[in-house]
Amino acid sequence: MTNNFRHQKVPGSSWGLPGICLWQKKPNNTEELSHEKQPQNAINRVLVCLALAVLLLATLPPSAWALTTERASARPNDSSQKLVIGGRPTRITWVGNVAENEEVTSITLMFPVGCSLTDDTYVKVQEMIMDDPMHPQRNDPAYSIELDSTHLYLQFETPIQPNNQLYIEIFNFCLPELTGEYFITGSYTDGPGRSHDLSAQQNPIVVVAMTRTQKLVDAIGEWEWVQSWNSVMFLRVFFNPAWFVASIPVLFKGWLISLLLVTLGFPLAIPIGLGFSFMRMSKFRVLRGIASVWVNFIRGTPLFLQIYIAFFGLPLLGVRIGNYPLAVLVLAMNSSAYLAEIFRAGIQSINKGQFEAASSLGMTGFQTMFSVIIPQTIRRVIPTMTSEFILLYKDTSLLSAVGVMEQMMYAKALANTTANLTPYVVSACFYLIITLPLTRVISVFEKRLAASEGRAEPPEDTKAGRIRLGRSDQDSDKSTASLQARRSDAGESAAAQTLSQGTGLRESND
Amino acid sequence: MSVPKKMASSAIAFMLAISFALVGCTSNNNNNSNSGGGSEATNELGLIEEGKLICGSDCDYPPFIWLDESGKPVGFEVELMEAIAHDMGLELVYLEPQNFDSLPTVVAGGGKMDLAVSSMTITDVRLETINFCIPYYDSNQAVVTLVDSPYTSIDDLAELTVGAQAGTTGYDWAVENLPNATIKTFNQTSEGMAALRAGEIEALFFDEPVAIEHVSTGYTDCQVMQVIPTGEQYGFAVSKDNPALEAAVNESLQRLIDNGTYAEIFSRYFDFEPTIK
Repeated sequence: MTNNFRHQKVPGSSWGLPGICLWQKKPNNTEELSHEKQPQNAINRVLVCLALAVLLLATLPPSAWALTTERASARPNDSSQKLVIGGRPTRITWVGNVAENEEVTSITLMFPVGCSLTDDTYVKVQEMIMDDPMHPQRNDPAYSIELDSTHLYLQFETPIQPNNQLYIEIFNFCLPELTGEYFITGSYTDGPGRSHDLSAQQNPIVVVAMTRTQKLVDAIGEWEWVQSWNSVMFLRVFFNPAWFVASIPVLFKGWLISLLLVTLGFPLAIPIGLGFSFMRMSKFRVLRGIASVWVNFIRGTPLFLQIYIAFFGLPLLGVRIGNYPLAVLVLAMNSSAYLAEIFRAGIQSINKGQFEAASSLGMTGFQTMFSVIIPQTIRRVIPTMTSEFILLYKDTSLLSAVGVMEQMMYAKALANTTANLTPYVVSACFYLIITLPLTRVISVFEKRLAASEGRAEPPEDTKAGRIRLGRSDQDSDKSTASLQARRSDAGESAAAQTLSQGTGLRESND
Repeated sequence: MSVPKKMASSAIAFMLAISFALVGCTSNNNNNSNSGGGSEATNELGLIEEGKLICGSDCDYPPFIWLDESGKPVGFEVELMEAIAHDMGLELVYLEPQNFDSLPTVVAGGGKMDLAVSSMTITDVRLETINFCIPYYDSNQAVVTLVDSPYTSIDDLAELTVGAQAGTTGYDWAVENLPNATIKTFNQTSEGMAALRAGEIEALFFDEPVAIEHVSTGYTDCQVMQVIPTGEQYGFAVSKDNPALEAAVNESLQRLIDNGTYAEIFSRYFDFEPTIK
């Protein structure tokens, strides 16, 4: 890309304004020649300089701004796509605006000390014609170029025109390896051939030294087996080892957020759900009606839609809740409807005789409920509740569609910039960290439940039970099926039917 | 305890089986193309389905593409593709709307779409996985805010929450230039616009022509705060394994540009002169 064009001006030697250069150089040149006439000369010199200064003041202000730096930036190049790591190839973009009535014939960009080029370094230059600021048009100017690790010099065949924007991109360029804030300085020549300094860029380029993760990711990418592994399209796109490692720290953050959302939302859903289950079983028709409308609305519509309504609809009604609290609230509301059905089924699965026995002992309805029925219900509903928790946890991924920064969002952002789907696979693994142990918990609870219901299971039945549990590992919803099977033994199939319907409906929604 | 162990080992076995099968597949393909390169004359463009040009898009980027009332894709890109397909003697087929961020991977993987026609900017990063046909539109970035937004410059957005469509150059621009902002991604631009209206984000970064179209039609409560000149160019994305199709589409597109068909279609959607020549 570099070209042999040589330019009279050595960049960096005389960046000062022309007037100032004169001031410094003239005394040296004339010193010996006019030694005797020093006093007169001194006065003359001061006069000349004064005149020059006045001239400069009059002419410089407009021309000093002939080209102002709009911005200079570097593309993030680390595995999380957030940081600019020094010593790794990145893309530098420098943008400058040409002033009204001015032209730019050449430009020199000076790079910070410690930059380096790679074999693939190349430069792209565009002149953006800004006649209509709403619709800039591009023009590819002809230029000669000089590029090394210290500077880039461009001499344009046709000057960059007034009002236009100069857009320079340097690809596969390495910034210094030391952490720090870097600026791109430089100079340019205007139409009449005067040289000026570039104005400083507003925001520095923040460069960090090589990170440990990045070192590991780079090392993995170089391994031989990784390279042959990556030669298969499917493996490269879904199971790229380097991206796998790179995704873990980024997704961990999102994983914690997802977990937090569900651990706050689910406990909130329990009392609400219990309330609705009581309303569903109430003697009052109005309460029953309200509860069944709510439960059927929530269970009959996709969570995705509810999230949309809450996030995009509520703000338009003037209800402004933060993103995370709203997310927790939506999850809690959604889960409460399912829990209401689970609780109702659980309560109704308790033998009616217990209600009658309690009231014959003189207990009130309230007492019966809280000291006799609910304690028994809790044990029975824990497996179903756990599967509801798992479902809700998985559903947090839907929140990424409305811009809640949770695990799926991090995975999406990462997959975007890398054009690789490995982050999604890592994301799946993170979900499994929670869901696999929980499905195990369900089966343990179910076993205990079966034992405590006072039925010593014969050996064959245990075997059958294990097969059923094995199935429940794959789909936690099915755990209700085994619950139902047991219940039917005990002659309480009707309630269990409701229970399985409760979760069955959810399945069809998802 | 033996159950999880068994599961783990069977999972590993499954993965291995898949990878071996895939290695087998690819090497077979290589053999075929090496030995019988000339015999594939029936489908020399390497199309997925003979006689059909299958295109994929997110179908939510007016005036380039959107779905009309009947769910049929319409717009500048669709008309242009129709002309190109007609010129190549092929039938144009549009897939159902795709996620924009998945398009490069899908095109590179092959087997689903011949071309991704989705206002996709030709970038060095994308060129690592896919190829592009010659550019068909010159574009820029834009920042859209609400009309009553207090923010007037990009510097005002430095620490705020902004949005962009997943996988777009608008997202990349925001990441590079607003390192301290929170950047949210959306699958579709219209989702981002809804989030902007709802106050979820303060500004949305996407392509200039679409931004201008949006604020002048459906989203009159929004404005283009600023156009960011980037001089990016759209190209049809095509698999690296299919240079024949790329060449054929290039030839066809160039013919339409030369004979004025491109300009004629262009004039139906834009009120300025085309810059592609």
